[in-house]
Amino acid sequence: MERLDLMANMKQENVARIIDFLEENKNREGEVSLTDVMHLAEVMSGSMFDFLSTVQPAVTEELTAIARQITSMKEEISQLRANDMKTNKIPDAGRELDAIVEATENATNTIMETAEEIMGADTSDPEAYQELVSNKMISIFEACTFQDITGQRISKVIETLRFIDERVSSFISHLRIPEDLEAAIEESDEERRKRELILHGPQHVGEGVSQDDIDALLGDAQSDIDKLFD
Amino acid sequence: MALDLQMPVLVVDDYKTMIRIIRNLLKQLGFEDIDDAADGTEALEKMKQRRYGLVISDWNMEPMTGYELLKQVRSDSGLSKTPFIMVTAESKTENVIAAKKAGVNNYIVKPFNAQTLKGKIEAVFSE
Repeated sequence: MERLDLMANMKQENVARIIDFLEENKNREGEVSLTDVMHLAEVMSGSMFDFLSTVQPAVTEELTAIARQITSMKEEISQLRANDMKTNKIPDAGRELDAIVEATENATNTIMETAEEIMGADTSDPEAYQELVSNKMISIFEACTFQDITGQRISKVIETLRFIDERVSSFISHLRIPEDLEAAIEESDEERRKRELILHGPQHVGEGVSQDDIDALLGDAQSDIDKLFD
Repeated sequence: MALDLQMPVLVVDDYKTMIRIIRNLLKQLGFEDIDDAADGTEALEKMKQRRYGLVISDWNMEPMTGYELLKQVRSDSGLSKTPFIMVTAESKTENVIAAKKAGVNNYIVKPFNAQTLKGKIEAVFSE
């Protein structure tokens, strides 16, 4: 009789916790995060813990382990600093890359304009021409200073990638996710376009074919090219 | 087919700086009539309005790539004979083979120099 009373009290207390949780989140309109689910799982497992501890110690042990794992996962998720990544790190890296594109474009335009002015300059007066070329060369040197700044910006982007890599790697390691546990990814429209139109982008040194290789391919008879598919 | 420096040349690239570079190199080679387009769609429209003696096109552009442009040009009876050189950073063997099969006249991998461009143009017109 005492045992039933205890269970009834515990259930009431835990049911109240669940009701409180649901009350707090009733206006979420379906926007449920992983943290919410884990919090609810924590509350639910806590309620089960009280009940089952009176009837089955083995199950209690399992539930304790699950609760410990959930707590550990919450800690790992907090270590990911996902919001910091989303709101600060990744947008900052994007801004740095935009600035790099802008700086290299400006420098290229300056260099090209200067070169065009030299090419179009009047050469009939050698002294005037020499002075013009000297001045324009200084403009080209000045434009090349973009390299120092873009180098620093690229370092910041690499720092961000390293930050993300370290946290995601640590997260995967703590969750003990097997390497072969990868969900099949459905090909996006963009990926399909790249595959169908053979869009690989620039290759690194030694990865693509050289101009000499291309000349050889184009010079070969079709049968030789076909051999590449064998 | 003889190389005629008076013939109109169409340069197709979505990167304005690259158009400017190729335009300057072509001018150095003696070409005077140089037009440009920012992607395959614009190039095709221009090609239907004007007969170009040579097309120099990038591969990776949106919405229409240089590869799609090449196939469209080769399938159009009015345009199919237009000499077409691909100038691109796409340097995988499968890209070169696909371009060859689609009927490209020559293929230049970026980055390239003036000598390469000159050599390939001359090669196309000596075929």
